[in-house]
Amino acid sequence: MDKKVRRALEKAVGRQNVLTKPADLLLYSYDSSTAEGRPDAVVFPDSTEEVARIVKVCAERGLPFVARGAGTNLSGGSVPLRGGVVIVLSRMNRVLEIDVDDLRAVVQPGLVNLDLQNVLAPHGLQFCPDPASQKVSTVGGNVAENAGGPHCLKYGVTVNHVTGLTVVMPSGEVRSFGGKALDPPGYDLAGVLIGSEGTLGIVTEMVLRLSPLPDDAQTVLAIFDTLEAAGESVSRIIAEGMLPAALEIMDRQTIEAVEASFPSGLPLDVEAVLLIELDGLTESLARQAARCAEICRELKAREVAVGRTPEEREKLWSARRSAFGATARISPAMLVNDATVPRTKIPEVLREIQEIERRHGLRIAKIFHAGDGNLHSNILFERGNPEDFRRAEEATAEIFRACAEAGGTITGEHGVGAEKVKFMSLLYSADDIDAQRKLKSVFDPEGIANPGKVLPEPAEVGSE
Amino acid sequence: MSALGDRLYALEEIVGAESLLTDTEAVASYRVDGEQPLAVALPESSEQVAALLREAAEGGLSVLMRGAGRHMHLGAPPTPIGLVVSMDRLRRVVEYDAENLTITAQAGMPLGTLQGVVGERAQMLPLDPRGGDGATLGGVVAANLAGPIRMRYGSPRDLVIGLRVALADGALIKAGGKTVKNVAGYDLSKLFVGSFGTLGAICEVTVRLTPKPESRAMLVLAMNSAEVKEVTGKLLRSRLEIASLDIANEAAVRRMRLSLPITLAPELRIVFVGLMGDRAAMVRQENEIRASSGGAFARLDGTQGGHAWLSLREAPHPNSVDEIVARAALPISYATETVDLVSQFDGWWSVARAGDGVVYAGPPREATTEMMVDRLAELREFAQRREGVVILEAASLEMKRGFSVWGDIPNLDLLRKLKDAYDPTGNLGCWRYLPRR
Ligand SMILES: Cc1cc2nc3c(=O)[nH]c(=O)nc-3n(C[C@H](O)[C@H](O)[C@H](O)COP(=O)(O)OP(=O)(O)OC[C@H]3O[C@@H](n4cnc5c(N)ncnc54)[C@H](O)[C@@H]3O)c2cc1C
Repeated sequence: MDKKVRRALEKAVGRQNVLTKPADLLLYSYDSSTAEGRPDAVVFPDSTEEVARIVKVCAERGLPFVARGAGTNLSGGSVPLRGGVVIVLSRMNRVLEIDVDDLRAVVQPGLVNLDLQNVLAPHGLQFCPDPASQKVSTVGGNVAENAGGPHCLKYGVTVNHVTGLTVVMPSGEVRSFGGKALDPPGYDLAGVLIGSEGTLGIVTEMVLRLSPLPDDAQTVLAIFDTLEAAGESVSRIIAEGMLPAALEIMDRQTIEAVEASFPSGLPLDVEAVLLIELDGLTESLARQAARCAEICRELKAREVAVGRTPEEREKLWSARRSAFGATARISPAMLVNDATVPRTKIPEVLREIQEIERRHGLRIAKIFHAGDGNLHSNILFERGNPEDFRRAEEATAEIFRACAEAGGTITGEHGVGAEKVKFMSLLYSADDIDAQRKLKSVFDPEGIANPGKVLPEPAEVGSE
Repeated sequence: MSALGDRLYALEEIVGAESLLTDTEAVASYRVDGEQPLAVALPESSEQVAALLREAAEGGLSVLMRGAGRHMHLGAPPTPIGLVVSMDRLRRVVEYDAENLTITAQAGMPLGTLQGVVGERAQMLPLDPRGGDGATLGGVVAANLAGPIRMRYGSPRDLVIGLRVALADGALIKAGGKTVKNVAGYDLSKLFVGSFGTLGAICEVTVRLTPKPESRAMLVLAMNSAEVKEVTGKLLRSRLEIASLDIANEAAVRRMRLSLPITLAPELRIVFVGLMGDRAAMVRQENEIRASSGGAFARLDGTQGGHAWLSLREAPHPNSVDEIVARAALPISYATETVDLVSQFDGWWSVARAGDGVVYAGPPREATTEMMVDRLAELREFAQRREGVVILEAASLEMKRGFSVWGDIPNLDLLRKLKDAYDPTGNLGCWRYLPRR
């Protein structure tokens, strides 16, 4: 990297907070996806002002910058495709204020989601978004990806729980959008920034809406001989007017992976496990849990268990929680996608995915947030085998096409990042994308904020 | 033919002569803040809306979007209005996907009709804005309006998952989609929701629905103003399934013409607690709420409860073209103090949505303009000192000229860049939202 630029960065954040050695840079050239790209420098700011100074250094030189939280995103969002500066927000991990009376928290972006929940719990409060990665992923990353999680069927996604942002714009200017109060006059800029994957600016402070923890919860686990029956149970539960906090399905491949790594006593000869979590007032729960169990039995569930105490519930959840890690353990190389369809299309799309799996001779471990139609197909392949990787990529494209045709989308919560840019035109016309590009050009006219992400280049539109 | 004649002819080509009103009498009822449009178009499809917008932009005709006209009082006085585009004839359900709890409807669909459609499947759109059942889906979304149950279910910003929008240049675009979770690309629907038709015309809306709760209850508590903050704060932090929490002063209860089994007094506040949920859980909740305050308590029966909820829903709606309604939005814990402040103004009414920090207020009939401006300025200053804002929801033209409708709009320079990007000729909305440069 140019010495002058390095010095300017060192001046902005202090020498000890700038990395430029090749070995260090390597560590920040990938995330939890398969995308790769080497930065020219990695910096660790400690305040909004420092972030602004770094971004100014970049803006003056047209140098790309990429924000990074914990790097757990599954779409290549935090990889510097075109080099430049990676801005790691891990030092900015403070809870600035817990405002119990206003039901708001003000936090810095590098704060880990679970650390926040632990601070809130003694007040009887929570921040609803709870991505499965919450032990490591940062609230800033959650905001940038508009993260979901197992509980968003009932509670909504990140954007429904954020009321204000402080943002360093790609020019280096600091602005705030919204705050503790709702409805500031003007367009909803906080709303469009959430989920913008660091391509419109860097979020350096957030005002979060807090909610009381639920009164009580019960968990139902049902084991099925067919995936269809599990899916049908989900539809019936919702048709009866119940709105569980979570409805999760794991398929046989995933169960096998879990039992191989973190045995939880699930039988290996089954096709699906359905996990239902109900929360709310104790009085309604018993009846609802019993009714859910009954529905599963009517649909020929082989076994149904109900967890009422926190310990019992945790036991039922343990397999689900370890599912991703377990899958990664049997196959460290996998392509993850989270295409989403209207829930009732799940059986139809599942059949297609199974067909794709068979056609390519691949293993696809499926976990889904069934309540909101979010399918995680983890396509396992052999690292270092280009042929295998190519087939996995083809399968991914076919899954996206199937989901788009079923009225769904290519990503429900993981983001477009670098990996799904080429699939955007499955969903959007050239005019649609052009309208999105207008937004980008207002915020980032020079195109230096996380370039290469989210939107295809004009020439790529319609050429998928 | 005159230049205007030519332009009107082009519009007529799009919607047909019978759907383009130009004679003074017909157009008069579409007046906004005294400003009369040159023409009113009643398109029947999204494509027609898009064509109208393109034509208007090319001919330099400014455009004001309109639903059922229930909220046209909202906004700064318009600059001269060329064309009103009424969405009145775009009332179809495009796709009702009951099993997935979503519905797509055209923007002119009245909310009451929509609730009727989804009610047949024991579902509801959890949105109860003022303006009656006739208010249109598109209008409510364009103004981001919500009512008492917002604290539980959110506003259009939270409930809209997809839009079809006609842009100023006539492009018909889609934002978002049909799935509840979707992060593919920028969520442009956030930009159009609450943009009052100044960035594009919302033609179709896809929203999330929710199962109709098994049971509803409306509880009424009366207490001294000093107690309200603690009682409502506790309820908001509780684990009860409260759907709405409104605080009203005496004048507001009278203005709503609510007869309650409670004796009113100026220093008393009436707190309305709406519950929605399972029947099994109602009794305990009711008991806990009754115990939460030492003052008077009443449970309204079904009809009375429904009536109270409707009255609270409509409370911020002006009763006449001249009536003034202000709306403060603050961090939620200030809701009570805001009601207290307003209650010190002579005869002013106030209703607070305690869970959202949104407080409505208005003067009595006999107040003079001068006095009202002073009071509103005091209220605005009070809110601003607490990270809040005050806007004028409804007011006479005279009032709007004397007191800024929106107050200071933060990030105005950036908002203007967005406006320029989506509406380069500044054609949409007649500058009722962002002020003209
Ligand atoms: C095991 C596992 C389970 C997961 N489960 C879920 C799940 O249930 N739900 C879900 O939604 N996701 C899930 N994810 C994906 C991922 O955890 C989320 O996307 C998470 O929000 C990313 O947070 P992060 O801190 O790791 O961000 P990073 O990966 O570091 O960054 C993500 C994106 O945000 C940008 N960014 C980061 N910080 C900022 C900032 N302050 N300002 C602007 N832009 C910024 C980056 O540039 C990048 O584009 C999972 C991932 C894993 C590995």
